[in-house]
Amino acid sequence: MKTLIQGLVAVALVNGGAAFAQDATRGEKLFNECAACHSPDRAAKDTVGPSLHGVVGRKAGEGTEFRYSPAMKRSGITWSSDTLNSFISDPQKLVPGNRMPYSGLPEAKDRADLIAYLQATMK
Amino acid sequence: MVTKLKEVDAVIVGLGWTGGILAKELTQAGLKVVALERGVNRSTAEDYAVPGVRDELRFVHRHDLMQNTSRDTLTVRNNIKQEALPMRRLGSFLPGDGVGGSGVHWSGHTWRWTDNEFKIRSLYEERHGKNYIPDDMTIQDWGITYAELEPYYDKFEYTAAVSGKAGNIKGVIQPGGNVFEAPRAREYALPALKTILASQMFNDTAKNMGYHPFPRPSANASQAYTNPDGSKFGACQYCGFCQRFGCEANAKGSAHITVIPIAMASPNFELRTNAWVTKILKDPASKRVTGVLYTNLLNGEEYEQPASMVLLTAYAINNVHLMLLSGIGEPYDPVSQKGVIGKNYCYQTGVGANLFFDGRNFNPFMSAGGSNHTIDDFNANWGFDRGPHGYVGGFTIGAGFNTSLPIGNRPVPSGTPQWGTAWKAAQAKSYQTSMNIGASGSVMANRYNYFDLDPTYKNAFGQPLMRMTFDYKPNEHKMGVLAAKLVNDIAAAMNPLSFNRATSRESWTVVPYQSTHNTGGTIMGVNPKVSALNRYLQNWDYHNLFVVGANVFPHNGSYNPTGPVGALAYWTADAIKNRYMKNPGPLVQA
Repeated sequence: MKTLIQGLVAVALVNGGAAFAQDATRGEKLFNECAACHSPDRAAKDTVGPSLHGVVGRKAGEGTEFRYSPAMKRSGITWSSDTLNSFISDPQKLVPGNRMPYSGLPEAKDRADLIAYLQATMK
Repeated sequence: MVTKLKEVDAVIVGLGWTGGILAKELTQAGLKVVALERGVNRSTAEDYAVPGVRDELRFVHRHDLMQNTSRDTLTVRNNIKQEALPMRRLGSFLPGDGVGGSGVHWSGHTWRWTDNEFKIRSLYEERHGKNYIPDDMTIQDWGITYAELEPYYDKFEYTAAVSGKAGNIKGVIQPGGNVFEAPRAREYALPALKTILASQMFNDTAKNMGYHPFPRPSANASQAYTNPDGSKFGACQYCGFCQRFGCEANAKGSAHITVIPIAMASPNFELRTNAWVTKILKDPASKRVTGVLYTNLLNGEEYEQPASMVLLTAYAINNVHLMLLSGIGEPYDPVSQKGVIGKNYCYQTGVGANLFFDGRNFNPFMSAGGSNHTIDDFNANWGFDRGPHGYVGGFTIGAGFNTSLPIGNRPVPSGTPQWGTAWKAAQAKSYQTSMNIGASGSVMANRYNYFDLDPTYKNAFGQPLMRMTFDYKPNEHKMGVLAAKLVNDIAAAMNPLSFNRATSRESWTVVPYQSTHNTGGTIMGVNPKVSALNRYLQNWDYHNLFVVGANVFPHNGSYNPTGPVGALAYWTADAIKNRYMKNPGPLVQA
């Protein structure tokens, strides 16, 4: 995982609407915000929250055995860097009634790096 | 018929914070450990997740995480002249049940008790003379010092993600922290929690009055955190459902997300749930305990689990009960003052005032378990002279919200009708516009406050219930009067529209809820005549029996007990690993 992420440092993504370079290594550190409940690993199981391995491209409320909230299943969202960015900035705003106990990551740069890391874990 | 199982190195009775710490430390040291837990296993994902955890009916009224009084309870009385009656429903205190123990539903307040407690008799005699301490007050020095315990406090705080602001690092006073705390080696594991409005207002007023307010240290992670063992915490979401609830965000320092999973991952460890220990087995000739007897609650089968070492790590009261049921040590008798098991049971006391404002919105539904601010000017501050007031002990004063239940919390000004339109109007206004100031006070040991076995009532296993005899004594009244006055002075200085005045507690009753901080019964000390355990929490009579929990405290302080409970668990683990395993026998010569 380490070498993989280092290879992706400072890759500017075309989508996501961010005008600055994303830093997946920094994103890995930021993933500490999520790690008490989510795993990023390929062989990961759901814990308190669903596994986030391969989340980009997944339909919200699908893709793992996790017992998603009705709000998440109904949302109709497909996770992209755009939708993830919007969700992580204020989870209850994008998907009201979802059951993730997290108030959001306020800094756009933090979110972009975190999403870059999530994408890197899929490679 | 009792099935005899294969012997293990250590059997742990009760898997909460203390059992979890010992399980982790001893399995890592290579011992084969079996933990027997009377409750079930629960996890954050299955049992404490949103939305199921936000359930006042289930967790507050039906006591879902607490011990089941239909199986075993206590009988209770205020003095030895009364007939004790069984507590049929939990009230004054709420012992937890299940893997993680009370460390699942606690608030997280984590204090470092100081030499004010550990050397209590010496300090008061030195300052006030031998006659200052009443004859019936059976306080004694603990046999340990703050300096000895400091590294273990540190270890527990960093394990449990304690958030706070240091007030004294290696003797250097730190602005913003508790200036009266004993010196610590380094800062808290995490920065202090956010300050909520009620805490800020209390803080400002207390400061203006010349006191030294600070944010309460609490095992609620103020930010995402990975502890030294690699256990991961989420950030506290200030959800307002802390005390009596498991944490939905894995932000509360709890054994079920830290030490217990580490032990569980070890091939040296085995957990058996629904396993109710009824007796410690002993061999008086060899001065060793040989294991425990337990019942599988699912089918009633009885087992003997032989072990080279028995570690009692259940809830404080249950540890004492098991000692009495097993006939280990001499039961304490308050008349002759002989015996040690059951001696020095202590509770806590407190006073509180509700303040009612206009134009303030406290949002009491948003708080952490420990988002209170506190003053220690009348507790850890040994500079405060108790002499003119004539009592022994201390109290902290604090304000803020902790689990201000959306349904259960209904403060109204004194004189409001108890039902009807006026009550509805008052509580609708007061919910958002009122706050509380409270004092939490110590209780000194008294010869007539103690545990023994009830002569009449039995539990589901046919064993005598534990009998608790307790009431507040003149020492606590004197302190309560001062605490109430100071709370009322601060309340008045905050200039509310009105406030319900704090008053000193008179007699103790088993309802309503007050605090789960029960201490004593198998106390530690330096003399086997007046203590059950030595300074390593090793039983004086049976050297392979260790008893860990607040039941070892010779008296109760103002602070919540979990700080020293956790520190002493690590302290005992080190004594077992580094000394006892190399040379099994008494670690202190009687």
